[in-house]
Amino acid sequence: MSIRFQLLIVALTTLVLPWAGCQYAGELEIALRGSQEKSLLASAGTIANALSAQPQRVFRDTADGGGTGSAGGSGGKPEFAASQGDLYVFPLRNQPLLDGYREDWDIAANPTALPTATGYDARLQAGSTERYLYLYLAVDDPHFDAEPDNPRPSTDRFDRVNVALRRPDGALEVYFFGTNAPGLVAAQSVVTGDDGKDRAVEEPRIQAFWLQTSRGYHLEARIPLSFVGSRVWVEAVDGRGDAKSGTTPAEFPDGGRLVFTTPGLGDLLATFIRDGTRATVVDSNALKLGTAGNLNANPQGGAEEPEEIWYRHLMAVDTSQLPLRSSAADRLGGNSVAAALAGRGHAEWVRGGADQELQLTAAAPIVVAGHTRGAVVLEQAGDQLLALRDRALTRLFNLTLSATALAVVIMFGFATWISLRIGRLRAAADSAVSSDGRIRLDMPESARADEIGALSRGFERLLVRLNEHTQYLRTLGGKLSHELRTPLTIVRSSLDNLESEGLREDQRLYVTRAREGTLRLQSILSALGAAARVEESIKQAERVSFDLRELLSSATAAYRDGFVQAHFALETPADPCFIRGAPDLIAQLLDKLIENAVDFCPAAGTITVRLQRSQSSYVLEVINDGPPIPEALLGQLFESLFEQRQGHDDKPHFGLGLYIVRLIAEFHGGKTRAANRPDGGGATFAVTLPLI
Amino acid sequence: MANHGRRFSDGFPNSAATIGYDSAMKKHIAIVEDEPALRENYAAALARHGYSITTYGNRRLAMQSFNSRLPDLAIIDISLEDEAEGGFDLCRDLRALSAELPIIFLTARDSELDAVSGLRLGADDFLTKDVSLPHLAARVAALFRRIDALRRPDNAAEIVRRGALSIDGEKMQTTWNGIPVTLSLTEFWIVHALARNPGHVKNRQQLMDAAHVVLDDNTITSHVKRVRRKFQHVDAAFDAIQTVYGMGYRWVE
Repeated sequence: MSIRFQLLIVALTTLVLPWAGCQYAGELEIALRGSQEKSLLASAGTIANALSAQPQRVFRDTADGGGTGSAGGSGGKPEFAASQGDLYVFPLRNQPLLDGYREDWDIAANPTALPTATGYDARLQAGSTERYLYLYLAVDDPHFDAEPDNPRPSTDRFDRVNVALRRPDGALEVYFFGTNAPGLVAAQSVVTGDDGKDRAVEEPRIQAFWLQTSRGYHLEARIPLSFVGSRVWVEAVDGRGDAKSGTTPAEFPDGGRLVFTTPGLGDLLATFIRDGTRATVVDSNALKLGTAGNLNANPQGGAEEPEEIWYRHLMAVDTSQLPLRSSAADRLGGNSVAAALAGRGHAEWVRGGADQELQLTAAAPIVVAGHTRGAVVLEQAGDQLLALRDRALTRLFNLTLSATALAVVIMFGFATWISLRIGRLRAAADSAVSSDGRIRLDMPESARADEIGALSRGFERLLVRLNEHTQYLRTLGGKLSHELRTPLTIVRSSLDNLESEGLREDQRLYVTRAREGTLRLQSILSALGAAARVEESIKQAERVSFDLRELLSSATAAYRDGFVQAHFALETPADPCFIRGAPDLIAQLLDKLIENAVDFCPAAGTITVRLQRSQSSYVLEVINDGPPIPEALLGQLFESLFEQRQGHDDKPHFGLGLYIVRLIAEFHGGKTRAANRPDGGGATFAVTLPLI
Repeated sequence: MANHGRRFSDGFPNSAATIGYDSAMKKHIAIVEDEPALRENYAAALARHGYSITTYGNRRLAMQSFNSRLPDLAIIDISLEDEAEGGFDLCRDLRALSAELPIIFLTARDSELDAVSGLRLGADDFLTKDVSLPHLAARVAALFRRIDALRRPDNAAEIVRRGALSIDGEKMQTTWNGIPVTLSLTEFWIVHALARNPGHVKNRQQLMDAAHVVLDDNTITSHVKRVRRKFQHVDAAFDAIQTVYGMGYRWVE
């Protein structure tokens, strides 16, 4: 894997930034929640304290039917019990029509079932406006039993609804509803006449609408509040049999309590709270006494919410385990309300609503005269927090992602730059030692101060040492030849002297052999030193302009005389070919090429000397018949002291001939090349010499 | 005389007898060579040819001796003990002592540069150690013959004339248009061999044989080059020695 991609992967680790951002945002959210809990709880406490100071504005029933004394003794009112006929009175915003339907009450809760022992199902709901108490009763009674005209209420049997009212002055009033035809009816009370018979007397101020349905009937009744005290008992009685449901004062003397919301409490609460918060005061039974505010009063927040922000899923805070909000239209539930009613403030997060969005609930007890009379419950949507978090997260994400992208781009660019530099260095290292053994000493990047520069300088030092060594090896032959010359001369001159001493014939034989040996040694040394001498003569060579064609033709003529065993062919251009150089050296070059060719040319073979003119150079080729050169050797033939080829004579070959060719060619700015003939029947040695 | 040099005139058997010269007539040759075995071999061979030899191992000893008495011929190696170019210095000093003393460099160094330097310092010949002892002796004899001939002004021996060229084989003198051209022995023999048969191509081997030297092709080439330059020095238009590539050289008139 290239450095570029390695660094790219390293750069991707900056993605840990957004992740860390998520973690941070999660912690931030938890901290924000904590502080929101505290502040909401504090608000709840403040409101509770404020309300404690004016309980008459909070609790409508400061003088409860049971009396403050009895209620206060047990630390609160007796528990609210629908089974006892206790009834929560919903506040009605509008005056409902008396039509038997309660849809215009606009109450989210369903009516509650009346206690029954006979399976006679009836459901009751109460509401009030400023002036009236409304009762809505739904009774499952498939048979309609009409009220007879002039009934005798005590004994006649018909479908009737008894309503007993404890009047504000404490008196008990009992009314009943019954009808012979559904529609508007008035309440009737039983009056015992002078004759001792009871009869029904209409109370026109208490009106109701009797609506017959397929399952039974609905009764929607309207009672002026002036009639209503703290309790009401409602009983539905079937016209046949003894089926009935509901409560009566006789059965439930402590039941039938009415729990009214406190008028004006909502407005009072509204002064305490801000938008997006809902404040509710509950009594000790957790029944709502008043409420204000709206959870969704966040007009600008709602609009931009719809799109689901994907990275919310990365959030570390898990809300799925939070409790569900427990509340009804008439009461509030949950841990915080329970805790507040037990006397201590508490806040908790719950999930509520259709989407189970987060909500914060904080409740504080309202303590009046040392008793917990109720609680202030504040609710706040978590949306605000979520929006806050999302905004922070979005910014964080955008920033860190941009930073990551930037880092990746920069890293990639940097890595590209580094790998380009290394690539340059590698290319230079690859080509530092050319195929002909020349060493290039300058490396790229060596001026840089960093590690790559140091590496490059290391390469340079290596190359310099290598070059010194190569130079040493190159000159070794010359030095060796020089050093061996003196001892060889000693041997030879001693032999000369020995010969002059008048040797016997047999002795002379050995001297002759020794002399032959020294001659061979001498020719070897001479060959070894030849390259050095050629290099020297090259240094002193003078360049003149001369006709290469003429040199070739005269030399070839000489070779024809000199090497009779081979046939020489000469191919030259028609025009004179002037080059600038040292003709002696070129002649020497040609000598070496011809010697080489002759060595490998079989008897009666052909050696072709060919001169061709190309765009920028002359190409001088010496082509001989003979065995092809092994492919592996082609590139090395022009090396100093390279000799792998077996010629067909027994002269020593040190490969200096072709090395000299190369030296001379390079002196002329040319190049050398060896190749096999395409037909495999010989070899071609070519020298390229630039035009003038 | 201090025991600086070693004289071979009497110390060697047959030395006087073989050549048969009167000892008073014996030429005195000084050999300055730091390699003892080689020095002794040269001395023995030359003594056998009837010369009186004194050998020296270094420049200091040789110069001390030369200051008191000059030899008839000096054969000098270039590198002498710790002096890489002590022979050149010695040659310069000798030439200062005597303008006529024949000096031969005999050295293992065969580079063009060394040869040029040596000849420029006034040496009469520059031989490499590849030369055999008989050749060395012949060289020495030829040099003495030239000196002797120069001392006999009324000699009208063999003279080769080729146009502007005139070669006195006896005195080993060369003139071009009457102007003397100072050639070393090797150069003289090369010119002599070429000019005797104008138009004939002499290959390098033939020239070597003529000059009694064993040289490689390159050295012959540079000798020829130097000869041309010396002639061109007296006549810029000199073009009598022609290169025949692949074969050798020839004299053209």
